[in-house]
Amino acid sequence: MRTLRLLGIVLTAGLLASGAYGADFPAKPVKLIVTAAAGGGEDTEARAIAPFVEKHLGQSVVIENQPGAGGKIAFEKFQKLEPDGYTVITYTFPKSVIIEYQGKAGFRTRDFTPIFAWSRSSQLLVVNSESWRTFDEFLKAARAKPLAGGLSGRGSTTDLMGRIALDDFGIKANWVPYEGSAGSVAALAGKHLDFTICLATSAVNLIRAGRLRPLLLFSDKRDPYIPDVPIPADLGQKMTFIPTLRGVEAPPKTPAAVIKVLEDAFTKAAAEPAFIETAKKRQIVLQPVSSKEFAQAVADVYPRIARFQDVLKQ
Amino acid sequence: MDVVQHALLFVLQWQNLAALAGGTLCGILVGVLPGLGPSAGMALALPLVIKWHPATALIFLGALYKCSNYGGSITAILVNTPGDASNAATLLDGYPMCQQGRGGVALGLSATSAMVGGTIGMICLIVAAPPLAEFALKFGPAEYFLTALLALSIIAAVVQGATIKGLISAGLGLLLSTVGFDVITGQLRYTFDWAPLEDGIPLIQALVGLFAVTQAFVLAQSNESISRIARLSGGFWEGVLTYFRHPAAIVRASTIGLLVGVLPAVGQSSAGLLAWAEAKRSSRHPEKFGHGSTEGVLASETATNACMPGDLVCTIALGIPGSLGAAIFLGVMIIFGVAPGPLVFTEKADIIYALFVALVLTSFLLFVIGMLFARRLAVITLLPNEVIVPMILVVSLLGSFAIRNEMADVLISLAFGALGYVMLKGGFTPIPLLLGLVLGEMVETNYHRALMISGGSYTIFYDSIISKVLIALTVLSLAGPYLGPFWKTLTQGEK
Repeated sequence: MRTLRLLGIVLTAGLLASGAYGADFPAKPVKLIVTAAAGGGEDTEARAIAPFVEKHLGQSVVIENQPGAGGKIAFEKFQKLEPDGYTVITYTFPKSVIIEYQGKAGFRTRDFTPIFAWSRSSQLLVVNSESWRTFDEFLKAARAKPLAGGLSGRGSTTDLMGRIALDDFGIKANWVPYEGSAGSVAALAGKHLDFTICLATSAVNLIRAGRLRPLLLFSDKRDPYIPDVPIPADLGQKMTFIPTLRGVEAPPKTPAAVIKVLEDAFTKAAAEPAFIETAKKRQIVLQPVSSKEFAQAVADVYPRIARFQDVLKQ
Repeated sequence: MDVVQHALLFVLQWQNLAALAGGTLCGILVGVLPGLGPSAGMALALPLVIKWHPATALIFLGALYKCSNYGGSITAILVNTPGDASNAATLLDGYPMCQQGRGGVALGLSATSAMVGGTIGMICLIVAAPPLAEFALKFGPAEYFLTALLALSIIAAVVQGATIKGLISAGLGLLLSTVGFDVITGQLRYTFDWAPLEDGIPLIQALVGLFAVTQAFVLAQSNESISRIARLSGGFWEGVLTYFRHPAAIVRASTIGLLVGVLPAVGQSSAGLLAWAEAKRSSRHPEKFGHGSTEGVLASETATNACMPGDLVCTIALGIPGSLGAAIFLGVMIIFGVAPGPLVFTEKADIIYALFVALVLTSFLLFVIGMLFARRLAVITLLPNEVIVPMILVVSLLGSFAIRNEMADVLISLAFGALGYVMLKGGFTPIPLLLGLVLGEMVETNYHRALMISGGSYTIFYDSIISKVLIALTVLSLAGPYLGPFWKTLTQGEK
């Protein structure tokens, strides 16, 4: 009897161990935490890719929205989760790194285990179409006197990129912070501001209608949806960019075998024609980023954000 | 007109009518469930409609978006729990009406408000969206600051009679509005390192506490039912008839609602509150407000329903969303290949006008649904307290939790429930607190933005014509209560 029971324990332990090492992963539904409210950009991208991930993972993907404190609450809970791969998180990187610098935070983005990222976005310098026609004209005006520039979200990637960019060009501006880009884009269209920096998708409708004019895209590649807009390299300017990625990560210390399964499923999902079609309609710039490249991006971004730490705390 | 006729014929096809009815019902359901707002509703429904014809899908989601408000008014009236922040002002008079056994009348009022307010708003959207959007763009930070001041000045009218207690309540609201992440400086204020407060005091959670939880405490003390008399008096149609006896109030409330909706930076939740306060100011029976005034329900609901189409003005004509719900609707339009912006009225005229016609029709459909179902719901106000109190607490706290999937929000609601109870016992009204909470950030951030743009010069606050008009209105609103008697003395002599 005793030997049988012992055998049972050994067998169970063996099964558990193999489970933990990913041999039969995933054996139950995977929870995908979205660090924003249902319906926003992060949420719609997560909901767009989830059905395709289900297809390649062979398990259902359950989305849970945890938008509190810009995602901070979700990140803090995530740091302490069991690293079994059954709960993963999606957000706009490097939002979490910025939160770490803003105040006390009970998590470290560099501890999370990157899985995959599928899209990137870049910031755009936009002016009212009744003002400057080219970036050179804008630069001249901005050097003559400080212009009023709108930024969305103090401490956001838009905010940081705007400050870094204008610093690189040697421009000083009167920064006017807004909660989101809808506010700053509206104020620019109404000529209350001289320029604004925002994601291309936030301004594209008014650009198409000829009300706003994009002057420069802060990226090392042109945006396929607005191919005429120059990038700093076209103007002979060398700049460092903060990459803005939408992707998915696992809790700290998740085993490599589990990550491999998840990364494969997400990579295949992002290559599905139906997903690419949806992304095109929303003007999402798709760019597959592997777990290794994602980890590199995380490591790279810390010193860049640290450079503007004083600005964030000002 | 050709294009509208075309759109009408398109909407009358069976699949579009079905989408319209389905969207309307889903919208009401989403509104009834606290914690599930139009934004989450649209996000959840999107996979269902993604393969449909773009116009049909937009009709479904548009109806869902527009009708959620009405659903929220039902719970606000019957159980004092707002479905969404925009229904806050409805419970001020709707619930007291239930206590007097007149829940059916209140539901008739809110259904009629949804029909009339929604239709007026939609007509303005259809005929004047581009000029209204241009008007909204003229509002910069200085104008928004002055608009918020004007709105705050209405508190003066609300607190008449109990000025000191009213001002204490308003001050508390303004103080609470400073909690959380400060957009201008990027600092966290008064959060005591507690993350759930970093977004500021969450509005719906606070409302659930101030009204539903407080009410549950009050009900738990007595051995009665919500309706203090054992039978219901007056029905749905009495509410409908009462509604049309106040044409001037309807026009005022729709105008306020529409303007709040059109201006992207003015929070939607303030539409009902402002219309309610303005109705109280101009009413012949201001003392009845807050104690079951039919005019109060009328003003709040008419404004809220006119606000939704107003919100779509800038969303569709410029591609600039004025609220979270509008932002999601904008995203949905893009997915279906209807990119909003000034060009949409020519490029995608067929789809846009079909959507508009459908949204007008849903206003009438709402009324019919209200007539069929909502009035029967009034019976729940006769349920004994030992049944209804646990129900209110469960539903409202569940809603509070569901918004962010956050247990801390339940604590916030309970804390506001305790605050509401203390205020009630002390004779304080929560309305000024709500107005302060809703408008505080708008006043503060836009004041800073205006000065940042002008480089510190105060002339920005009175340069434009809009600013001058807003200043004049604010002065009038503050001095009005004193000018009236003064004018009487001048013309009729001392009594």
